[in-house]
Amino acid sequence: MGVDWNSFLEGFTTAMSFQNLLFIIIGGLLGTIVGMLPGLGPATAVAVLIPVTFGMDSTNALVLLGAIYYGAMYGGSRSSILINTPGDGSAIAATFDGYPMTRKGQAGQALTLATLASLVGGTVAIIGFVFLAKPLAGFALQFGPAEYFFLLIFTLSAVVSLSKGNMIKGFVSMVLGLLITTIGIDSQSGVYRYTFDIPHLSEGIDFLVVIIGIYAVGEVLYNILLIKDEDQRIKGPVGKSWITKEQWSRSFWPVIRQAPVGFLIGILPGAGGSIASMISYSTEQQISKRSDEFGKGAPEGLAAPESSNNAAAVGAFIPLLTMGIPGSGTTAVILGALIMLGLQPGPMLFQNQPEVAWTFINSLFIGNIALVIMNILLIGFLIKILKTPPHILYPIILVLAFIGTYTLGYSIIDFFILMIFGVIGLFMKILNIPTAPLILAVIIGNQMEQNFRMASISYDSIWGMVTASPIAILFAALTVLSVFLPALFNRLSRVK
Amino acid sequence: MKNSMKLFSMLMLSAILVLSACSSGSAESDYPSKNVELVAPATPGGGWDATARAMQNVMDSEGLVEQNINVVNKPGGGGEVGWQYLKGQDSHSLAINSSLVIANNLLGQSDLTYEEFTPLAVLATEWISVAVPAESDIEDGIDMLDRLKEDPKSLKIAVGPALGNNDHLSFVRVADEYGVDVSQLEFMIYESGGDVLTALLGGHVDVATLSISESLEQHLSGNLNIIATTADKPIPEDESIQSWQDQGIDFTFPHWRGIMGPPDMTEEEIAYWDETFSKMVETEGWQKVLDNNGWEDYYMNSEETKAFLDEQNEMYDGLMKKAGLTE
Amino acid sequence: MEIIRFIVPSIILVISVIYLILTFNLPEAKVGNPTAAMNYPLLIGFSLLGLSILYILSEIKDKKKVFDAYKIFADKELTIQVIIVLVLCLGYTFLFERIGFLISTVLFLGALLFLINGRRKWLTNIIVAVVFSTASWYTFAELLSVSLP
Repeated sequence: MGVDWNSFLEGFTTAMSFQNLLFIIIGGLLGTIVGMLPGLGPATAVAVLIPVTFGMDSTNALVLLGAIYYGAMYGGSRSSILINTPGDGSAIAATFDGYPMTRKGQAGQALTLATLASLVGGTVAIIGFVFLAKPLAGFALQFGPAEYFFLLIFTLSAVVSLSKGNMIKGFVSMVLGLLITTIGIDSQSGVYRYTFDIPHLSEGIDFLVVIIGIYAVGEVLYNILLIKDEDQRIKGPVGKSWITKEQWSRSFWPVIRQAPVGFLIGILPGAGGSIASMISYSTEQQISKRSDEFGKGAPEGLAAPESSNNAAAVGAFIPLLTMGIPGSGTTAVILGALIMLGLQPGPMLFQNQPEVAWTFINSLFIGNIALVIMNILLIGFLIKILKTPPHILYPIILVLAFIGTYTLGYSIIDFFILMIFGVIGLFMKILNIPTAPLILAVIIGNQMEQNFRMASISYDSIWGMVTASPIAILFAALTVLSVFLPALFNRLSRVK
Repeated sequence: MKNSMKLFSMLMLSAILVLSACSSGSAESDYPSKNVELVAPATPGGGWDATARAMQNVMDSEGLVEQNINVVNKPGGGGEVGWQYLKGQDSHSLAINSSLVIANNLLGQSDLTYEEFTPLAVLATEWISVAVPAESDIEDGIDMLDRLKEDPKSLKIAVGPALGNNDHLSFVRVADEYGVDVSQLEFMIYESGGDVLTALLGGHVDVATLSISESLEQHLSGNLNIIATTADKPIPEDESIQSWQDQGIDFTFPHWRGIMGPPDMTEEEIAYWDETFSKMVETEGWQKVLDNNGWEDYYMNSEETKAFLDEQNEMYDGLMKKAGLTE
Repeated sequence: MEIIRFIVPSIILVISVIYLILTFNLPEAKVGNPTAAMNYPLLIGFSLLGLSILYILSEIKDKKKVFDAYKIFADKELTIQVIIVLVLCLGYTFLFERIGFLISTVLFLGALLFLINGRRKWLTNIIVAVVFSTASWYTFAELLSVSLP
């Protein structure tokens, strides 16, 4: 499609109107705050703020919702970096190196770096959106069950391969995660599995409860055990919040490289930020010359997934706006809100109401810049959180974890699940079992099973699935590589 | 604070009891005596939640109910959690429902039956479509049924999000009526209507059954073909779309949403809601809600709803047996 | 060699066995292939069984290395504190829907603060508990209209 520059410019000027700028700022700020709370990721942030848009002009409402969504993405990584508690699946990768940076006293720099990486990722993705929305929408349709299955397998293997020298524990963690996702009604056959007649369990365990349990509750319990240990105390923010030249030059290429990766993954319905950021993190670690610094506060380990998940967030709007298909929980909520407002996203949107669509795309771009400015201004305020004495901070994080959990399912059964995973998280930390494979498996496990079973209806054998299409072959090959290549490199370097 | 509220509401409650015991006619003006709670048995963002919030919005802005109306989300178990909750509440709580209130019980997924609650109204409906990819060589509904009659496994049929839902059952029913061996049909179950649509557009399945509001936009832009609908009249956006009736199969199937109250509501209370809802569905605000969501007015008062539910129950019972979901 | 290093691997082994037993007892699917719902869980169950055995073997292999992961529990006082925290969480769970969000949260947060922050700072504890609970109640229930009990 040729870009419709007239509508584009018209959209740009509408997005720049005073009223819309105001909505971008308000939405961005609200989103950032809600997104920082554990468990309240973009989906919940948008869902709980929808009533605010009732009675608003549809363009304004769309701009506001977009800003809330974007703000929540930024907010999610704030809490990952500062208190090791991701607000959402896509913010998990930010804990890997973001939190270690905080521990080293580089909280301000970590926040700045994450913000700049997000800006680059978002901008690259928006440019991609403007020029490639139509052809890429078709690309997403290429993904049938076999292609999805191998994409998901690849993601899992990439994350397990992060646990170098600890592969058994990594696989145990992953399989436990997959086991958790088999709880609930099996959608292909209608059979109830492991629900013990508790109606609340029939829809399975919400992965966000698992994330909050393992990260927020587990982390707090662990820290209480170490509360007297001065070495474990987070060092106060040392020095400036602006990043150093070295940090930037180490992060520059990873940020540029991973933006398109995240963008493409974001377009795929059902994939989204969690998968994008994990794949970006693990590929950067594998190709890095300093891969042993990953997990210990490597700046590129924070910047790469942040760039990627922001790009994925923009990519997710392609199927929504061009086909009316929501690719993620968040975009499904936004779709619901749009319909309430009388907008029907889909192939007709760009023909019937191009100005609405383009205003929205431009507002994402402007919102991105506004959020960067806001977030950099907020850094000084945010790192004050770290000055709160841990004796007061930990109880507050615990309470927030419970409230966040309640908003997910409105049920106290989730509280029990939260506590169980808090204890599991504590022991995983103590025994040095990696948590990322478990979390990722919980996020994508169900999807993996369903795709696997649909693929086995469509193809007769595993070989048939692998050779279903070039995409399937590609991901199958990447999976094999990601498991065996690190081992091979290890051998080779030992021989040397 | 909380305690005084409790005391207050208990006083009010006993006052109502006394009043209604003395004169059953004059109690009408006292109801509702406190905030009304609308239970959406789903998370924010879904269809049930949208219905509840739209009702709250319309009734508030038109001043139809003097008391405040609050929406409460009680998701889980395909409505089960919310309806269990409703069962224990007084007449100031109402819950959104749909055919699942019947189907869950028939499928053995719930012990609750629709008869335990007080039916108040059916509000709106959607119709269901059968769609094929644009490049498919299936010409119309009958052509598809012929192929399935010959070999039930010849077409992969996408449905979401669960077996036993309306999209699935309506398809089973029409196929059965045509003489297809429905127990052999090959269904692929996707997580949501959006995923069904993606699979169909990408050509990963041959046929999909999904609500018209989900498929119409793609049909109008030529990306897929709607080959049949369960509607009882033409679709205004494209009157050339054929319903099953147009193709000679006497069959309609609404995908309705309604509202019900807890067990044992008094006649005055039921009458109150009959009056309120009949006014609500006439408002412009409600019409706009219907238009935006692609729903159609399907209002029935409490009496009609009761009869409708009985009839639906019978139909679903028969259907599930045919589909092999129950014995 | 220390027995405690085998505790968690053994628990995982037990979990995999229970899971497999539950899986074999799953009801048959009424539609389509009757064992369709079972196959994938079986794969997972057996993988976990195998992995837990590998895990135990790897611990046996490492038996000469010092196993000090549980040293973290050496401080009795802190270990008891963690257990009390968990008990308080349970209490909160039971009270949450009974006495409502606001009161139960004030109690829970207050108790946690007295436990972790110490009794001497009682004034700070009470202020934080009340202010934080009210503020979060206001944010969630009023501003975000999330339905809280």
